[in-house]
Amino acid sequence: MWPQRPILSEQLFGYAAVTTEERLKSQIESAFETVKVTVPRRQRLVVEASRDSLALVLMFLSSKGFEHLCAISCVDWIDRGTFGLVYHLASHREGIHTMVNISIPREDAHFISVASIFPNAQTYEREIFEMFGVKFEGNKRLIPLLLDHWEDIPPMRKDFDTREYVKQKFESIKPLESKE
Amino acid sequence: MPETEQRELLLYFGPQHPGMVGNFSITLNVRGDRVVKATANPGYLHRGFEKMMEYRSWMQNFPMCCRINVMDPDPYEMVYAMAVERLCGLEVPPRAHYIRTIVLEMSRLTSHLAWLWAFANMLGFDTPGQWSIGDRDLILDLFDLLTGGRVYHIYIWPGGVRRDLPDGFAERALEVIEDLARRLGDYDDLFFENRLFVSRTRGIGKIDRETAIALGATGPVLRATGLAYDLRKTEPYAAYASLNFDVPTRQEGDSYSRAMVIREEIAQSISIIKQCLSAMPEGPGFAQPPNPFKWEAPPGAVYERIEAARGEVGVFLVSNGGNKPYRIHFRSPSFPHGILILERLLEGASIADVGHIMMSLNVAAPEIDR
Repeated sequence: MWPQRPILSEQLFGYAAVTTEERLKSQIESAFETVKVTVPRRQRLVVEASRDSLALVLMFLSSKGFEHLCAISCVDWIDRGTFGLVYHLASHREGIHTMVNISIPREDAHFISVASIFPNAQTYEREIFEMFGVKFEGNKRLIPLLLDHWEDIPPMRKDFDTREYVKQKFESIKPLESKE
Repeated sequence: MPETEQRELLLYFGPQHPGMVGNFSITLNVRGDRVVKATANPGYLHRGFEKMMEYRSWMQNFPMCCRINVMDPDPYEMVYAMAVERLCGLEVPPRAHYIRTIVLEMSRLTSHLAWLWAFANMLGFDTPGQWSIGDRDLILDLFDLLTGGRVYHIYIWPGGVRRDLPDGFAERALEVIEDLARRLGDYDDLFFENRLFVSRTRGIGKIDRETAIALGATGPVLRATGLAYDLRKTEPYAAYASLNFDVPTRQEGDSYSRAMVIREEIAQSISIIKQCLSAMPEGPGFAQPPNPFKWEAPPGAVYERIEAARGEVGVFLVSNGGNKPYRIHFRSPSFPHGILILERLLEGASIADVGHIMMSLNVAAPEIDR
């Protein structure tokens, strides 16, 4: 349906006009004053957004062809006291990948759900809720995904120590040979 | 109306179920023979790899990357190696690109052949599965010759591959894939052109392009809806930019189309391996990576993505300047396919179709759980 590889202006005109990445960068920056966009390399954009503008930025990008939500990642910046949320969007038409970064406070972490814009965000938000404890308001299915009867702090947080957990959890079980 | 068609029953489909491949389960609400609602329950294979990788050095993580997907291990090594190379600015020699391409396509072949076994079994065909597992074994032997391991290879490293091709590999590889190419006609006669296969799968598990994109579909699932989207073409990595291959698509988006896309991809992979073997440049197979014990990557965050057998495999890698990843997140194609898309496709399906709808999406449980 669409060309499999984006046709670059170099190929058409023999010289580099404004690249698609640069065009998108100026479009985003003119639509949102507070948003910063960088182009680290070809086919990549990095957008630094704020919490308030995120939903609008995602809707704007989705209208520009970024219809595919690859994933949502969460990073625990424990020293700064924040969680970084990274929304990975891709445009099938342009072949460009965009990372939209925001940060939210680590204490009582909660944020809005983007499942109404990208339906497959639901499962990624479920995973982040389970692994980092970030609550996504508006997500209708915020229930455990992978873990079974987990009672400790969310395990992907930096203050969760796997080795300490294993010690506490499994050293209290006596080996079969010990008779008491 | 008989009583059984009025009552809604809860049916546990897997993990201990003959119609289930892998450690995965689906809870089905059924009314008579119809599925009213399906709920996917992943988590049986959660090994906490992403957390474990935060405790291990850049090099130590490779044996875990490949274990994210048993059927198709090499794309995970590749995407992690690419992310580390991007983060540290390592160069890869041209010969390594070609060797990596061969390894990735061999991995795709083993994955597709294992898929054929599971998919054919779901439809009640025993013979194609026995053939395909037999043919897959010859490719696993090739992996053994090349890397020393049959299932997990730990072969792709930052800066290239672990060692160059051994003597006689090219001849043996050519022999195996030409044999497979000859057998594809037999597979068509036995399975892909079989009237029973066609009537069991056509129009079943249909998904349109807009829904597929909205629910995050990639790979053969998306290409079966008519969108020729393949990261090997869109964002060429390894040696794909200099190779000549097609991206097979179908229009209908049903179980039959997905199976036929995978069938055509087998032929494309064979052609890619042949091209790589004949165009293999001379030179070193790897560039020397930094000392693994003293290796500190500069701070930064990268996202790399490649096309695996099931779709887009991505890795988000964050470094804070230390000798270990600060955060690593793998995006696997089965994550959207196995949960939201599977649940959507199973609504209204017959119980007899549950197994093959799941396999037509090629869901791999270890990929979801990681």
